[in-house]
Amino acid sequence: MDRKEILVELKKVLTPYTENKEMLEGINEQTDLIKDLKINSANLVDIIIDAEAQYNIEIDFDAAEKMYNVGNCIDVISEKINKPA
Amino acid sequence: MISAGNDIVVLQAVDAQRTQSPAFYSKFISPKELALYKPDELSLVNFVWMLWSAKESAYKYLKRNNPELIFAPAKMTVQQLRIFTPLKTDTNAHNQYKGELQTNDIALPFLSVTTDQFIATTIDQGDVRWAVKQIETSDYESQSKAVRSFLLDDLKMSGVTIEKHPAGYPVLLKDGKDLGIAVSFAHHDRYISYCYQISK
Repeated sequence: MDRKEILVELKKVLTPYTENKEMLEGINEQTDLIKDLKINSANLVDIIIDAEAQYNIEIDFDAAEKMYNVGNCIDVISEKINKPA
Repeated sequence: MISAGNDIVVLQAVDAQRTQSPAFYSKFISPKELALYKPDELSLVNFVWMLWSAKESAYKYLKRNNPELIFAPAKMTVQQLRIFTPLKTDTNAHNQYKGELQTNDIALPFLSVTTDQFIATTIDQGDVRWAVKQIETSDYESQSKAVRSFLLDDLKMSGVTIEKHPAGYPVLLKDGKDLGIAVSFAHHDRYISYCYQISK
């Protein structure tokens, strides 16, 4: 799965947590989940749990802390997906 | 240092079932912190979100003086938590908790209120004023506008405006000059909250 494909799936994960659907449609790797998408911080753990289910991965504490913008989310997900078993 | 940090979590806006899952709360609560939980005092849902709101409050408090800081709740540890004033009436049952949170070499005291509707927390350092209010609508723009009006109404000072610092925190200005009062805003669903610290 490349970064573009991860981004498409990530939009689905983020959809329930932002009221700014227009901005969500145009997100890029610099988009900040809280500042730009106005996602409430109380939903950050929901996003991590949903991403785990969406990509069938496990996101640990250290990785989760990096997931404050879309590019970081893709980095973390990409690394976990491509991690050898 | 003078700073301010608060948070509010509205219980009807969170997934209570998911909150109680170890897969959820273990993302930011360590086994040592979980040992602070007293089921006879409060629900697991309230406990989990109290710790979250304490960590979010501490992050806001510290970020003012360290703009590059990244929210890392798993690296913050709530070390103490005790019930402060249990209050129960027919219409509004709530408890106040006092606690202390450690992150790196900094210890921060916090104060939390838990009700059936929300968990609200403020860092309790120095001379802190703190308030919570219910509003009519829950969209981001309304929350943001309402919490600013709420603070300005309570301050009862003329000529005061609020601007956003590039680092993200609110700044109180009077006639264009920074008043030197550290302010923090929080909003979730139909609740808003502010806190501010005037002196150490």
